[in-house]
Amino acid sequence: MTTASRTAPKPIGMRLLSNSRGLTRRSPTFAAGLIIVGFFAFLSFFASWVAPFNPIQVFPDSVLTAPGGQFFLGTDGNGMDVFSRVIHGSRFAFSIAIPSVVLMIAIGVPLGLITGYRGGMLDEILLRILDVMRSFPAIILALAVVAATGQTLLNVIIVLGLVEAPIFARVVRAEVLTLRSSGFVESAVAAGNSTRRVIFVHIMPNAISGATAQIALRMAWAVRASATLAFLGIGIQAPAPEWGAMIRQGAEFMISGQWWIALFPGIALVCIVLGFNLLGDGLHDLLDPKRKPTGK
Amino acid sequence: MSLLKVDNLHTHFVTRDLKDELRVAKALNGVSFALEQGEILGLVGETGAGKSLTAMSIMGLLSPPARVVEGSVRFKETELINLPVGDLDQLRGQEITMIVQSPVSSLDPLKRIGRQLIRMQQVHRAITTAEARKRAIEMLRIVGIPNPERRIRAWPHELSGGMAQRVLIAMALINEPSLIIADEPTTGLDVTVQAQILDLLLDLVSERSMSAIVITHDLGIVAHYCGRMAVMFAGRIVEEGPTRDVFKNPSHPYTQALISSAPSHAGSRQRASAAGPPPNLYNLPEGCHYRDRCPSARDICATQPHPVMVSAGHQAACHFVAETSSQEPVGS
Amino acid sequence: MLSGPMANEAEIEEVRRSLGLDRPIFEQFFVYVQNLLRGDLGKSWQSNEPVLDEILLRLPASIELLILALVTGTIIGVPTGLYAAYRPNRLFDQITRFGSLLGFSIPTYWFALVATFVFFFLLRWAAPPLGRIGMEVFPPPDITGSYFVDSLLTGNLAAASSAGHHLLLPAIVFSIIVSAPIIKQTRAIALEALGSDYVRYARACGYGPGLVRRIALRASFAPIVTFIGSETTTMLLAVSLIEFIFSWGGFGQWGLNAILFGDFAAVQGYVLVLATFSAFVFLFVDLLVLLFEPRSGLLK
Repeated sequence: MTTASRTAPKPIGMRLLSNSRGLTRRSPTFAAGLIIVGFFAFLSFFASWVAPFNPIQVFPDSVLTAPGGQFFLGTDGNGMDVFSRVIHGSRFAFSIAIPSVVLMIAIGVPLGLITGYRGGMLDEILLRILDVMRSFPAIILALAVVAATGQTLLNVIIVLGLVEAPIFARVVRAEVLTLRSSGFVESAVAAGNSTRRVIFVHIMPNAISGATAQIALRMAWAVRASATLAFLGIGIQAPAPEWGAMIRQGAEFMISGQWWIALFPGIALVCIVLGFNLLGDGLHDLLDPKRKPTGK
Repeated sequence: MSLLKVDNLHTHFVTRDLKDELRVAKALNGVSFALEQGEILGLVGETGAGKSLTAMSIMGLLSPPARVVEGSVRFKETELINLPVGDLDQLRGQEITMIVQSPVSSLDPLKRIGRQLIRMQQVHRAITTAEARKRAIEMLRIVGIPNPERRIRAWPHELSGGMAQRVLIAMALINEPSLIIADEPTTGLDVTVQAQILDLLLDLVSERSMSAIVITHDLGIVAHYCGRMAVMFAGRIVEEGPTRDVFKNPSHPYTQALISSAPSHAGSRQRASAAGPPPNLYNLPEGCHYRDRCPSARDICATQPHPVMVSAGHQAACHFVAETSSQEPVGS
Repeated sequence: MLSGPMANEAEIEEVRRSLGLDRPIFEQFFVYVQNLLRGDLGKSWQSNEPVLDEILLRLPASIELLILALVTGTIIGVPTGLYAAYRPNRLFDQITRFGSLLGFSIPTYWFALVATFVFFFLLRWAAPPLGRIGMEVFPPPDITGSYFVDSLLTGNLAAASSAGHHLLLPAIVFSIIVSAPIIKQTRAIALEALGSDYVRYARACGYGPGLVRRIALRASFAPIVTFIGSETTTMLLAVSLIEFIFSWGGFGQWGLNAILFGDFAAVQGYVLVLATFSAFVFLFVDLLVLLFEPRSGLLK
């Protein structure tokens, strides 16, 4: 192939950058969400370097010290540094949320594609499952299952992923339904593509881009849910520096005035969940109005 | 004194795109026309020419990001642009009424149609409910709804498109306005129903010596029902005049293309087709907006053409009116 | 588990047989449903009492909280959402949108703890976060099941004050957590109504801004009510967590404990009641909306 290009294509990085400035100004929520999530991702990677102490290191002389001085955010009932524990806690947030959302996608996307495109028995079953789930707080379901099947990290991930997969499937299904009646799908079918090809090559990319916002929102849910489980005593427990577990520990001290033990992990939780929610909302803003025609 | 005088109306849409730059869509670029008492004016153009927008701008129904940026609309000596909302509301529904494209979804979904007709009257004048109800029933009878005494209890969603449009006509006429603006009143209706609705509407209008603006993309409707017509393209009126004159002697290249491509003229003298890419409202060509699609475009078209009189009451905005018209101009 | 940690193989087998756990799964389920229809939800092995009795005992306390959650969430959520929709993109709207997003992100239990610290420990406005009424007062006779209401009904102001103080913390938590989704959705519904064909037509008819707004509001009513109904599950979760933290003695706390301690019959009872309750609420809301919605065809 001897095609000579007249102009060198703009390097991808530059294009991303120039577009991203517009992107971020177009949706400040997206930008804010990205920054927050990015910050926590950074923390979880570099926790060992950023945190001043080992999160499970006990300082027997400094039990329940208030924030300040050597211990930036104080110490808890076991004499462990709250600041370091909060930083390390971000690892749990991602190590639980990411795999369970991946599981949600792995189950939800094919399910949504098939039920949206084919309908039929599988579709009916999915709709019934969704109906049942709507009448029930999903977290309680997850709680019951994990409690019954064993409180391991793996279990928590699997259960969270399974419980929310139908929700994800529903979003994908809705996208497929809209796409199914659109022109390009009809022409793809008319051109003789096999059903499988139509689904995976033509429909799936568009359906997924529509569900991208939902991914961020599911991450928010997964983080929240795993923390709630830990708070109730299921799943990760002390001395592991998981935020929910830390709040559980700090609960008893809240009434006696040692507010810092439960407060800071909670603030971290609020921030990261807010970050994912902002990301999801921002993605909604970015991906939806683009479809609206401009002017009249 | 004209009933309605629209002068140099400019309406823009201002938005921000993905790169967060300001983008201005110039939807109306100096629309001017006048409507006399008792006239029925047909406003034609392709989709996106700005016909509905003109109606919205006149009625003050624009929502952000659309804004009237320049121009005037005088209705019986009252300036409508920037009129305080309270005064505008007194005119709307009473002196100037509107018939819209999607009748079923435009009626209040939570009120029976009888109550809506009564409300329409009571908002604008002091009238007892009993009296308003009587007039409502009478109006429904006039627009051809059978069994009006029972039908006033109907809900909007129970009506077919044609029935709902009749109700809108009733709503538009019940306060005896001076001007009715009908925005694509037959879109979405069955072909058989379309003619009925138009016949009904325009019979009633001429019966009561009202004036009307009929907005449509269908030349047939204009030819059949409208005494005068105005052709719009890219937010400007490119030709206007008595319908018969314009059809006999279309003087703007766009009008010529439109008319010759209409089905009834198939087979007659071949002209360039009216089809072409819609004008980019964000980036209109300098001067004549039709330049990019016009077969006769020349350098002079970079300057904006002013309306040139073709014959009495008939004018077209093109530099070459004298050359392209098929008749000798009466006065140039 | 039931037989105790020291049981050997044989004893476990014995317990299993007595509970019918050695029968095939289908038979077990069939027996369960049979019992269910007779009103028998099994026995809680923790307390050795019938599950049904345990639930009925604790239900009033939970209903009290649920009503509190519903009322607080709606009173704060709906007007705020509407106000934000009618003045879009102004400062209030921006603050509200962010606030409700924040409310979505706050863990209920954590917020309850923080509220306890601020309003009890620091300000002493709220009662100690233990139970529904103070130790120093006698609970009122059982009329509605709500200590607060019953105290008022029997004229026992001291008890009412104590019960009221105990309701303060839950109310504070609900006002943020439950109202967040309601604000967001109310705003979206109201905005959609404002941009609709019938609102634009109403303006074209010269109806004044007040009347136009009323038309939009009336059309928003049904979707808003439907949404609040669908938030029942969120409210039930919040109520359960509050009960758990504040030892409210309600059905939610009991249910969560049942899960944590593996009391299977109790968990089944808890799950069943939760789902049934939600189903009834949805049905009720649907019927309510159907009654007022002309499009249902019920109004003639």
